[in-house]
Amino acid sequence: MPDSSPTAHRALKTKRCKLQDGIVLSCTVLRHPPARFGPRPRPVALIALEDGARVLAPLTQALPIGTHVRSRLRLSHITAEGLRIYDATYEPLVLSKNPVPDFPGYILALTGPSGVGKSTVSAVLMRMFAEYVERVPIVTTRERREGDDGEYRYVSKRVFTELQKEGKLIAMTHIPATAEERWYGYRASDLERIWKAGKLPVVITEMHLLQGLAERYGRRSILSFGLLPPGKSKRAMLSHLLHRLRLRGRETEEHIKDRLKNAEEDIAFFSRRKDLFDRILVNENVEHVIENLRQTVPGLSEARTEN
Amino acid sequence: MERDIFLIGGGQTKFGEWWGRSLRDLIEEAVEAAFKDAPCTALDIDLVVIANMLGEIGSHQAQLGSLASSLLPHRPPAVRVESACASGALALHTACAFLESGRAKTVLCIGAEKMTDASPDAIAEGLMGAADAEVDRPSGITFPGLFGLIAARYMHEYGLTRDDLSLVSAVHHSNACHNPFAQFHSTITPEAVSRSPLVSDPLRLLDCSPVTDGAAACILSTQMPSDLRLRASQVATDTLSLTQRATLTSFSATKDAMGKALTEAEISRSEIGVLETHDCFSIAAIINMEDLGFAEPGRGVEIYRALHRGKHAPFPVNLSGGLKGCGHPVAATGIKQLLDVGKALRKNDGAIGLAHNFGGAAATAAIHILERTHA
Amino acid sequence: MSRSAIVGFGRYLPTFRVKTEEIATHWGQDGKATARSLGLDAKTVPGRDEDSFTMAFEASRQALDVSGLKSSQISAVFVGSESHPYAVKPTSGMLAAALETDPFCFAADLEFACKAGTAAMQIVGGFIGSGQIEYGLAVGTDTAQARPGDALEYTAAAGAAAVILGTEKSKHALCCIDHTLSFTTDTPDFWRPAAEKYPHHAGRFTGEPAYFHHVRTALTGILETAKISIADIDHVVLHMPNAKFPKTIAKEFGISEEQLHLGFIFPSIGNTYSACSLLGLTGVLEAAKKGERILLVSYGSGSGSDAFLFTMLRDGAPLPPDERTPEELSYSEYLEHSPQVH
Repeated sequence: MPDSSPTAHRALKTKRCKLQDGIVLSCTVLRHPPARFGPRPRPVALIALEDGARVLAPLTQALPIGTHVRSRLRLSHITAEGLRIYDATYEPLVLSKNPVPDFPGYILALTGPSGVGKSTVSAVLMRMFAEYVERVPIVTTRERREGDDGEYRYVSKRVFTELQKEGKLIAMTHIPATAEERWYGYRASDLERIWKAGKLPVVITEMHLLQGLAERYGRRSILSFGLLPPGKSKRAMLSHLLHRLRLRGRETEEHIKDRLKNAEEDIAFFSRRKDLFDRILVNENVEHVIENLRQTVPGLSEARTEN
Repeated sequence: MERDIFLIGGGQTKFGEWWGRSLRDLIEEAVEAAFKDAPCTALDIDLVVIANMLGEIGSHQAQLGSLASSLLPHRPPAVRVESACASGALALHTACAFLESGRAKTVLCIGAEKMTDASPDAIAEGLMGAADAEVDRPSGITFPGLFGLIAARYMHEYGLTRDDLSLVSAVHHSNACHNPFAQFHSTITPEAVSRSPLVSDPLRLLDCSPVTDGAAACILSTQMPSDLRLRASQVATDTLSLTQRATLTSFSATKDAMGKALTEAEISRSEIGVLETHDCFSIAAIINMEDLGFAEPGRGVEIYRALHRGKHAPFPVNLSGGLKGCGHPVAATGIKQLLDVGKALRKNDGAIGLAHNFGGAAATAAIHILERTHA
Repeated sequence: MSRSAIVGFGRYLPTFRVKTEEIATHWGQDGKATARSLGLDAKTVPGRDEDSFTMAFEASRQALDVSGLKSSQISAVFVGSESHPYAVKPTSGMLAAALETDPFCFAADLEFACKAGTAAMQIVGGFIGSGQIEYGLAVGTDTAQARPGDALEYTAAAGAAAVILGTEKSKHALCCIDHTLSFTTDTPDFWRPAAEKYPHHAGRFTGEPAYFHHVRTALTGILETAKISIADIDHVVLHMPNAKFPKTIAKEFGISEEQLHLGFIFPSIGNTYSACSLLGLTGVLEAAKKGERILLVSYGSGSGSDAFLFTMLRDGAPLPPDERTPEELSYSEYLEHSPQVH
């Protein structure tokens, strides 16, 4: 029977593991909880703990998804025989007094196929709005290549897996390639560091990572732009990309073939997942794209720029 | 399928709150109705498979195999199966194994549930057996609570609105009006759903399938043919607890079972002409559309928008009223879904129908594909 | 025999408060006058899911953090309270298990009205001094029960304080216990029969023959033993059943407001019974400087008084602030929160 001495005793071990900080993944309020908890509505959440484990647990109050919480040991209920059952409850963690960033929890995402010119656009953005935006580094297991411009943090597969296990990555994907399997992801700490500094994080990304970000922070916290190559048909777009990739001269022909295959999927993704994009921009001219961004992204239009 | 398995008859009780009927009474009634509909007699039954989840808690009754078997004069062998709300479909799946192996040639499948003898608290507690007793129970979460968490997360990830979610129950109630066996015969507006009392935020009373008494029975045979042939019977499982899932907004057991079923039936999903799906809560119906592959992630509600406007796009869904409109006597649902697919195929001269049944938060999912041949 | 020293300390107060005015108004009394005469604005109220064990746990967790020790280094846990969750099933056992102390751990629950917490500190100190353990935990914790309408309703509060002791040579040692003594009698000033929910008290008899006689005797006793005078003391902590009693003792002995200041936690909290003087001590430990001397005298009805003389071995440091916002309750909410005691 539940709540008997043996079951209560066995549960003591798991309770200790719950006493960590965490984040609310989802929250509900049981309006008429089971009788042993009394008549008041009971907020219960699914919480991701620091060590990566997840728990279902009561909250001291209903909280929005994404709230940081800390654990408390509290009286869960008293059994019919008077045995007191204690368990973890979570309350909102009051984060220490840092200056409130201008873009709390808000991300600018640029998605598009290889060769469309994301890096160029982003480099210009970083230069012009240096005080307001910062690019979020991509953690990757692939090797450093000539032409990489500081956007990546290179780690071994083992380190990547550790980061993943510790819950420190907020989105990740792998690009299976004929040459090598490469993993990519974003670290939560990188994003949070940029917010704390009062800047807008910019991610240059692809479809799976974009989805991961939407899942973690909520769709509404991403201002998402898709970048398409010029061209009236898909074939024209792909041919344009091929031309650009070859011009870039950074990769072997085999790599370029892989990129084009991914590019086809990326372009299809724009129409299949319209819901993930606020605007699709055609990158015919970098200046026009930047101007578009400047007008659309809150905070940038009034920004002082370096030119 | 190793052999041709035909659905040769079936019947059910009306679903509802039946204060005057016990679990045994409901089983008897459904079995009688099935025999009335079938070309065989009781003596043709080689095996009884009975599905039930709450017999012990609701009626102090286990050994349901023996109870059902003793309803037939020759007392055939009997088996009871349970996988929470997927128990009914699991009974069908079990019957298929016996039929394919040749151990039985004609099987009586029963799904029955008596939920109104025990207190609502005891029943809610019993239903939580479909989740993880060690991991989930200490928080006090209930099943509306688990699906409340799922709905909240789905709204966060995809921007689904309260008004859109309310379309689901409106559609199901509208369908139930045409089903003489359904628990409810009243239409409800989406506004009424949005205004109904909160059960577990954001889910409201009219988002949740009811507590229901009822039973359904069907007869599957490799010996006697009919115009309804089973093309696939597949079951898949997932972790008991949501805490061990990668995502809250999609059920991998449904996806797995669906993939396997399409392969077994050798069809593509575009050939499916009618669907009964497991709408234990309104949000589940939306997620099911996506997991079954009829909509992209985040877009399941578009199907219900079309259904609400009266369009059968891509096909009629839950013509029986689903779990919300028809009622959900837990273990009876899986059997009743198959019967309803059969009825719809005959009525609309359809070819292929699909029944999707899951237990708990899809810790078990089962898919049955039924074909109407012109035999 | 080496002396014991405080190597870590912590406290926990619930976030809920009920104002003196709110209680007084409910009973048709003058709220502002009552608050003024008691010297108390509001008292702490436990959450519906809190009790003496959960508060003891939080205070002890903090003490462990402050001490820098691993919980497995603790091998004694003594908990003093008038509101242990069970009459039989020790809080100290549940606490040792929840904290994951060394399972080979001395443990027992104590009751001596409001001085059970300091009694725990004496006992743990004794285990350390005799060399039987390296580190031990002493806790005072209470969710005080007050009869609605009774004078004590205004002041009976909830809270917990924990101290971890080691030897004075320990590298974590913060504050050395130079001397301690206890004065014990049988005095019927305040009692609660086992089967009853609320205590009884003897009105004005709780003053001179009870609080004052015992605190005075213990205070005088320790000054004589240590051959020290009030002027040599930097900080004084006295048990605070209300604002008046400790101030009266202070006047009698020439203890200044400055000396009382750091430990005088009553006005915003109330009387947390077994936690009371230990809570006052935590206030001092946060701010006292190396070399400063601290005098603590607790009082427990029934009756007895424990006196301590401490010396700071290094500067104190503030505890992490409690950043939760205090929540004020109405009188009916306060009643719903009131603890069910065996």
